[in-house]
Amino acid sequence: MTPSILLLLVLIPLISGIASIFMPKRASLVSLLATTLNLLISIMVFKQGLSYSVPWLGFGIDLSLRLYNFSAFIILSISAFSFLISLYSVVFMSGRHKSNQFFSYFLINIAFATGAILADNFIVMLFFWEGLLLTMFGMISTGTKEAFRTAIKAFIILGIADLCMMVGIALTAHLAGTLTISKINLPIHSLGGVAFILLIIGAISKSGAMPFHSWIPDAATDAPLPFMALVPAAFEKLVGIYFLTRICLDIFILDPKSWASPLLMIIGSITIILAVMMALIQKEYKRLLSYHAISQVGYMILGVGTAMPAGIIGGLFHMINNAMYKSCLFLTGGSVEKSAGTTDLGKLGGIGRKMPVTFACFIITAAAISGVPPFNGFFSKELVYDGALERGVVFYLAALVGSFFTAASFLKLGHAAFLGKISKENENVKEVHAAMLVPMIIIAVACIVFGVYNYLPISVIQSVLGEARLEGHNFWGFPANMTLVALSVIVLIGALLNHLFGVKKFGSGLKAVDHIHYAPGLSQIYAKAEKRFFDPYDIGLKIVGAIARIGWWCDKFIDWIYDNLVVRVTYIFSDGIRFAHTGNYSFYIVWSMVGMIAVLVFLIR
Amino acid sequence: MKLNFVILIALVLFSLWTVMTRSLIRSAIGLALTSAILTIAMFRLNSPIAAVFELSVCAGLISVLFVSTISLTHPETREEAMQHMKDRLTRFWYLPVIVIVAVVILSAMRMNLHFNLPTPDAEKDVQSVMWNLRQLDLFGQIIVLLTGVFGVVILLKEAKKK
Amino acid sequence: MISLLIFMPFLALLILNIPFKDITKKDAFWAVLALSALQAGISLFPNASFWDSASDVIGNFFKLNLAIDSLSIVLLFCIGTVTFITALVAKHFITDQKRLFNFTSLLLVILAGMNGIVMTRDIFSLYVFIEIAAIASFILIAMNKDIDAIEGAFKYLILSAIATTMMLSSIALILLMVGDTDLSVISYAMKTSERAPIIMAAIGLFICGLFIKGGLVPFHGWLPDAYSSASAPASVLLAGIVTKTVGIYTLMRIMISAFGFDNTVKTILMLVGTVSIVFGALAAIGQADFKRMLAYSSISQVGYIVLGLGCGTGLAIAGAAFHLFNHAMFKSLLFVNSASVELETKTRDMNKMTGFGQKMPVAAFTSAVATLSASGIPPLAGFWSKLIIVMALWAAGHYAYAAIAVLASVITLAYFLSMQRRVFFGKLSGELKDIRETAGGLVLSASILAAITIGAGVFFPFMLNVFILPIANMIGR
Repeated sequence: MTPSILLLLVLIPLISGIASIFMPKRASLVSLLATTLNLLISIMVFKQGLSYSVPWLGFGIDLSLRLYNFSAFIILSISAFSFLISLYSVVFMSGRHKSNQFFSYFLINIAFATGAILADNFIVMLFFWEGLLLTMFGMISTGTKEAFRTAIKAFIILGIADLCMMVGIALTAHLAGTLTISKINLPIHSLGGVAFILLIIGAISKSGAMPFHSWIPDAATDAPLPFMALVPAAFEKLVGIYFLTRICLDIFILDPKSWASPLLMIIGSITIILAVMMALIQKEYKRLLSYHAISQVGYMILGVGTAMPAGIIGGLFHMINNAMYKSCLFLTGGSVEKSAGTTDLGKLGGIGRKMPVTFACFIITAAAISGVPPFNGFFSKELVYDGALERGVVFYLAALVGSFFTAASFLKLGHAAFLGKISKENENVKEVHAAMLVPMIIIAVACIVFGVYNYLPISVIQSVLGEARLEGHNFWGFPANMTLVALSVIVLIGALLNHLFGVKKFGSGLKAVDHIHYAPGLSQIYAKAEKRFFDPYDIGLKIVGAIARIGWWCDKFIDWIYDNLVVRVTYIFSDGIRFAHTGNYSFYIVWSMVGMIAVLVFLIR
Repeated sequence: MKLNFVILIALVLFSLWTVMTRSLIRSAIGLALTSAILTIAMFRLNSPIAAVFELSVCAGLISVLFVSTISLTHPETREEAMQHMKDRLTRFWYLPVIVIVAVVILSAMRMNLHFNLPTPDAEKDVQSVMWNLRQLDLFGQIIVLLTGVFGVVILLKEAKKK
Repeated sequence: MISLLIFMPFLALLILNIPFKDITKKDAFWAVLALSALQAGISLFPNASFWDSASDVIGNFFKLNLAIDSLSIVLLFCIGTVTFITALVAKHFITDQKRLFNFTSLLLVILAGMNGIVMTRDIFSLYVFIEIAAIASFILIAMNKDIDAIEGAFKYLILSAIATTMMLSSIALILLMVGDTDLSVISYAMKTSERAPIIMAAIGLFICGLFIKGGLVPFHGWLPDAYSSASAPASVLLAGIVTKTVGIYTLMRIMISAFGFDNTVKTILMLVGTVSIVFGALAAIGQADFKRMLAYSSISQVGYIVLGLGCGTGLAIAGAAFHLFNHAMFKSLLFVNSASVELETKTRDMNKMTGFGQKMPVAAFTSAVATLSASGIPPLAGFWSKLIIVMALWAAGHYAYAAIAVLASVITLAYFLSMQRRVFFGKLSGELKDIRETAGGLVLSASILAAITIGAGVFFPFMLNVFILPIANMIGR
């Protein structure tokens, strides 16, 4: 296997992405073909260590790509997801406005994500990383009319975070003296700490953790659904958490005793709790899911942040699991949208019987995300709990509370959407096209397989950590700590009871959590949160607005200087020059002669 | 030796004609002839490279002049031409006088015109200089001349159309 | 087989002018297209055996003094591309078959002439080829036959004649002192001999002649008139490549291969370059005529090239060569766009234009690319060349020159943006509602040039390795 095959992984989607702009009618087929090819190649190179490098810009900036067990694993997941979602989009996007644009951004996005994962040089990685930002902007803006504003919001939030990361990369490269990622291994202190924080900001903002999350729920309602299933649910997590893990394991040495580890765990815990609380009260299918997309990142950051083998493996396992069930959940949302025409939970209900396959997939994946054994989510959460408990009981409790609300909100979602009484508008709802079902079924089955045979993924993830960190432990199979398992099960049962209580009190699945929503104290906070009172982006905008007003006055003043000084002086010169060019050639000859004499005098002297 | 005198006299006459003739086109033709004769003179004085350069420069210069004349002038009536001729003669009347005076003075001084010419370089005759040393220039000159002719033809035709 | 680049256009010209039955007047156009495209294509492969002087059968048979280096190859590419574009534009502008034939025949002559300039290594042959290009350009400008064009051509002619006189006197002095006209012999003599005043005078005269040909301040008087009065295809050719090859390339070649970098000469080059940069930019701001503005901006951009050349280090000269390449591309592009605007509106007054971008999206986009590249905005090609020049100036310790170069770039951006805003942005005015994108030829040529400008910027590493570093290494230091 020649290393240059790695280039293919980037080039195939890139070229076909560009090609699909010019083939509006064939775009979906092109994308299907390209993702299939990519999947085949990534299966071929899985388990191989390849590195490819050619000189690029000079100054130590080489176009170097490196495939080793970790990146191979992520690449395989990316190509698998992109294949499935491509298959789904063929039907879902058909007949939509700007669908070829969507496919082209989609493919280019795959290329950039693959490139960012494979890159073994910071500058190359940054190039692909920023490329992801652009394609994401494009993909969101192909959605509804409101989508453009959301796209700008996402662009600004991630742009600022990327700027931080850029500075972080510059610092890291300065400290390490090289740009080659695989050669860097720094301790976290003083300047290294600053670099670490800046890099972490880049990584967690990409994965959508708080406080860089606020564009995701907006995108959920505005952007095309396959985008949600692919980018915030799968790609952002894979790329972001991959990079986070690289930062914590390779680029820096994350010591459990340092301040960096609790910092990450706090970010993770807060993300879990706040996001899941917001998810709980949502009355819109996709928006609810999107808050979970944020909340689940918390588990991964918490897991990686523990700096314990169990936690890290749990975090990474959770990353892949989350990518699976979350994208499948979004796909079920898409199916509902396609056949019922709405994702507003108030208008849905009772369609489970009409769409049995979708409903079944929903049940499996919802169970997985809630951490019901024996689905994959259960095992990864247990590992994260295990790691968190070792570091402090607070973190464990935060994760457990998150779990409770996750289960509660999915019970609510399932109940409101699929069970209950069917409304008149939804009487004619039918199961969706097979090409949309197949991806969902595959992912749902994979959720079970990864749960029951968790040896498969965990052994790969363990090899990432290396024998030295594992100290002979193996983390596959059923969790050893039965107390934790029992506690988790109790929490799940608690969530179920809570749901039943809510349904009984308020009479419908949609209002099953209203007793929490309108609980004294909480309701005011919720009301403000719904009005985006706590959105860091909006707060930022207000501050920027104030600064802008001050800046405007300064600008006026500077403008005045420019208008009255610089421009006028320039125009005086310019008019003078125009005046001198009378068009009389004898003048021109005289100038030339004078010039020549001056040159000669200067030269001979 | 006598040939040199003939060449010298022809050179003087042609250059006088160049300056004093009535139309620009005739001037240009006169200049061409002048420099052709100058070239011959240089060959006879055993400096073939200078001769070849003279030829090149003159080829370029003549073409330029032709092009500019053709593009700038408009046909004159007979009266205008005669008037032009008179103007020239009144303006440059002193030139022939100077030439005649110079000849008289020189012959009166019985100047020895037997210069010590450099010995002719065996290899550097006209042919060898043209073909062995400066083929590229020769080729360039051909293009220059052809372009000049081409330009004259084009511009003349365009002028006729108007 | 490099001598083919000179012989082929000439041969084509001969064949086309012999009245064969099968050859129609149209074939001249295709001959130019084919030859220029071939030339541009083969220049992309600097390692092809085509460039090997040992394989040049014709050249060796006639013992022609031709040679190639990286600088020449860059120029050959520019010449091929711009000639190609000019032919396309001419095809669109000149409807009369007969005139098109004349125009394209002259293009063949200019092609042969410029190729000769680029490849010859003899100062006198250089002069002869410059003359070829000059004569053909006079005819091209004068062909337009309106009073402006004749006036423009006349000014060009007069100042060119002065330049020719200067260069000839210089050659005479050199021949007197050195005894040969081969560049390498001159270079050897310059290195070994002391700089006598007469030698300095020869250098000064030659450089001044080239300043006139290249249109540098204060030798530039003819340039705005000639550029703005020539017909559209002629101005593309003239501004895009002829003055660059005749004036600027020759200056680079003569400095690098013959005269060498003397401190006083360097100072003169940098001074003249800087004055041209500032002067051209300031003059361009005040222009309302589209083509005149472009002409002044040409003066300014050429100033950058001469400034880089005057710095004298390998990197600076490589930057200058790259800027020469970029300038050939974006300036031709802008002239093509001005041609399409002129064709649609019959005016060049920018005060009367507004909002054309809505109807002419390709022209609007490509001129945005060109202006941004000219102002040195990354990642377009112009950014890299200016960056290299400024970096080299800085490295050589010429801080003031570097600062002026950067500041002038801001003025460049100002007048180009104002042009872009006036012509392409804003609201379409009532009278000009029915303008539309011009037909295929112009759009195609604008797109090709824009693609090269973007491509050379984005694939800068390729340009750096294949073209720029070899030039820098060739000069050394």
